[in-house]
Amino acid sequence: MASEPTTRDVTERSTSHRGGVASEPAAIEATEVSKTYPGDVRALDRLSFRIERSEFVSVLGPSGCGKSTLLRIVAGLHAADAGGAIHVLGEPTTRPRPQTGIVFQKDNLLPWLTVRANLRLAAEAQDMPRVLIEARSAEVLATLGLSTFAERYPHELSGGMRQRAAFGQMLLLHPDILLLDEPFGALDALTRDRLNVELLRLWQVRQQTVLLITHSIAEAVFLSDRVLVMSERPGRIIADLKIRCARPRDPQSTRASPEFTAHVLELSRMMGVV
Amino acid sequence: MPSCASAGLIARLRPVIDPALAFILLAVLWEYGAALFHLKAYLLPPLSKVLATLWDNRGTLLSESLVTLQEVALGYLAALAGGLLLGLLIFAMATARRALYPAIVLFQGLPKIALAPLLVVWFGIGPLSKVVMAFLFAFFPIVISTLGGLASTPLNLVEHFQAIGASPWMSFRRLRLPSALPSIVDGCRMAAPLAVIGAIAGEFVGAEQGLGTVVLMANANARTDLLFASLIAISILAGLLYCLIELIARRVWWRGL
Repeated sequence: MASEPTTRDVTERSTSHRGGVASEPAAIEATEVSKTYPGDVRALDRLSFRIERSEFVSVLGPSGCGKSTLLRIVAGLHAADAGGAIHVLGEPTTRPRPQTGIVFQKDNLLPWLTVRANLRLAAEAQDMPRVLIEARSAEVLATLGLSTFAERYPHELSGGMRQRAAFGQMLLLHPDILLLDEPFGALDALTRDRLNVELLRLWQVRQQTVLLITHSIAEAVFLSDRVLVMSERPGRIIADLKIRCARPRDPQSTRASPEFTAHVLELSRMMGVV
Repeated sequence: MPSCASAGLIARLRPVIDPALAFILLAVLWEYGAALFHLKAYLLPPLSKVLATLWDNRGTLLSESLVTLQEVALGYLAALAGGLLLGLLIFAMATARRALYPAIVLFQGLPKIALAPLLVVWFGIGPLSKVVMAFLFAFFPIVISTLGGLASTPLNLVEHFQAIGASPWMSFRRLRLPSALPSIVDGCRMAAPLAVIGAIAGEFVGAEQGLGTVVLMANANARTDLLFASLIAISILAGLLYCLIELIARRVWWRGL
């Protein structure tokens, strides 16, 4: 079981959150997760947390604190040390699964494939029926405003467009859980803001669970229901902050609200920025 | 504005004009250089004489070229098939890598030209020994470039394919192979002239047909003009091979992207 304070806190709020039922398995549940790399380098130190379905949670931490490692363990790409476990939708993660979509900071598009062919890649890897892929790629291209770029190659697109296509590849799977590893980290501020708004809009329609790794305090507050704050290496969770900004959020009014400012200030203090 | 239009035309024709100018300069230098520096005609016959010889002997040179071309083509294709296969095998199987890689490195360092007499003894004076020579010369660059290409798949893409649950076969076919192609194509480019060198070297050691025998025969008879004519034939052969490979290589356009 997870450490007591975290569990109690989450159980309380989960009943109020989008009608989640406490008895059904959490979207993501981490129990005493540690990760030690060869040479006794400890990246993660006994992390426990619970993320309910349809919740938007950000993990905030200084660089090198192991937040990307955490995401890779959730995705089933890395194994946690013995003694800890991560359950996704009630099942232990031992390998990547179709319900989980992951988007990295690097867009990971294949340069020799068109945007359309890149979008289909993940669905093809999971043997989705061709007709379904066809229908969904048209839908995703339209949603992301990529329809006119469908036959272009990645190097002909801007960074923002490429990252959109990377998202599109995952959206095609209709995943229950979206794992995002600083997906906007390499983009300019303007594009980043725009994609933040688009991500929120998508999340509101699709209601997936989102776990976002970021080192931008403002981004974490603007997007999330909850922010988990990690310490320096070895990474531990030092705070679990509920974000009280009203939804739906929009860049202007949300960022101007006193709650937003208060949260940003609080998180900045925790991370030693101010 | 006619001057602008002609300037644009010249700019577009530069890729053709520049090398043509270089060739013309070289031809003029060859034609008159010998006389200018008082070189004897048997040392460096003027270009016009060489071209005349080339034309007079066009029948022989063409038929001998076809023999050499056949040796080069067979040896090169065998090297391509064998090189790709061995590269894949070494990449896919750790045992094969451990067992074969040192041997390959060792063989690559061997002066393959020294094997020519042995190959003629083994495979006879006919074309087969030359095919094997062409194969040996072309083989190693293809193996090495295949291995290098397969081993340098970007790690972020490898992780991405793991994350989307791609099968090993899909990862190979859709990621490893296409990302290795630019390097493999480089190896094929390097290997083509080497195959020509291999076949000619084989013909030098012992043959009844082929451009190499023409070179030897011209040399023995002090026919420097014929020697140069056959050298030109060899260059044309190598050039054609290069153009063919370049045409195929152009389909691999994602180098460095």
